[in-house]
Amino acid sequence: MRIQLALFASLSQYLPEADNGNRLSAHAQLIDLPDGSTVGQVIAALGLPDEPRIVFVNNRHAPESHVLQEGERLAVFPPVAGG
Amino acid sequence: MPVPHQHPTPLAEEYRNLRARLGSKRVGIVGCGGLGSNAAWMLVRSGIGTLVLADHDLVEESNLHRQFFFRDQVGMPKTEALSINLTRIDPAVNLELFHEHVDEQNFATIFSEIDLFIEAVDTAHDKAMLVAVCSEQLPGVPIISASGLAGYGSANDIITRHLMGDLWMIGDLVSEVSEEHPLFASRVCVAAGHEAHMAIRILLGYPEA
Repeated sequence: MRIQLALFASLSQYLPEADNGNRLSAHAQLIDLPDGSTVGQVIAALGLPDEPRIVFVNNRHAPESHVLQEGERLAVFPPVAGG
Repeated sequence: MPVPHQHPTPLAEEYRNLRARLGSKRVGIVGCGGLGSNAAWMLVRSGIGTLVLADHDLVEESNLHRQFFFRDQVGMPKTEALSINLTRIDPAVNLELFHEHVDEQNFATIFSEIDLFIEAVDTAHDKAMLVAVCSEQLPGVPIISASGLAGYGSANDIITRHLMGDLWMIGDLVSEVSEEHPLFASRVCVAAGHEAHMAIRILLGYPEA
């Protein structure tokens, strides 16, 4: 199964190495996953820090229990404090 | 040499029409601190008809260096003090005030029927929570959030991004508030101005950042 992964701001350093033209932009690339992978499993596998994050799948919020489907776009943004 | 403008200056009648369109709009804001209180007065001055304001805090003396409050309002609920100040600008503005903490339990009740939501809270946890809750409970409602506005870095690093879907993000994305990077009114108001202006653009039909 192949999905689009976008990691914004400080999280972009956690994008896996892209070796075959899978990089889509500075913060996004295509990744291959086992069928049935959840958002939480992807986040754990990437080693993202345990900090607040905005998680969207296909442009809407998704819980970490969401089971990803072929072609979906998983995007993670790490807000920082201040307001 | 004249500076080119992306949009021509509207004629008086066109400007009245734009303000009339904004006058029918309803904007929700959680957080009436540095971002929210300043974005609110900009929206009122721009002609937004209704603001739904939620904040559980009281005005403190330490707020006065960057928030739209005054010394004699210390101790008042921020929503109440902001209501007084906004009404002084435009007595006709409709304000709905909620002096309470907002989370997934009460979000949809407080913000039903809004045209646009502005996240204007302090903590990263609450920012993430509110964006998630709004996206889940009010699908299709544009969300404007802010992240990265502390310190005295260049004001030009604060920009508006259409991050994804219905989410626009304001800020430099990385400048977290800390002892080394306190909040300056000037930079906070730049971010508040971006939030208010993106709201106006979206509500007028110009969603491009």
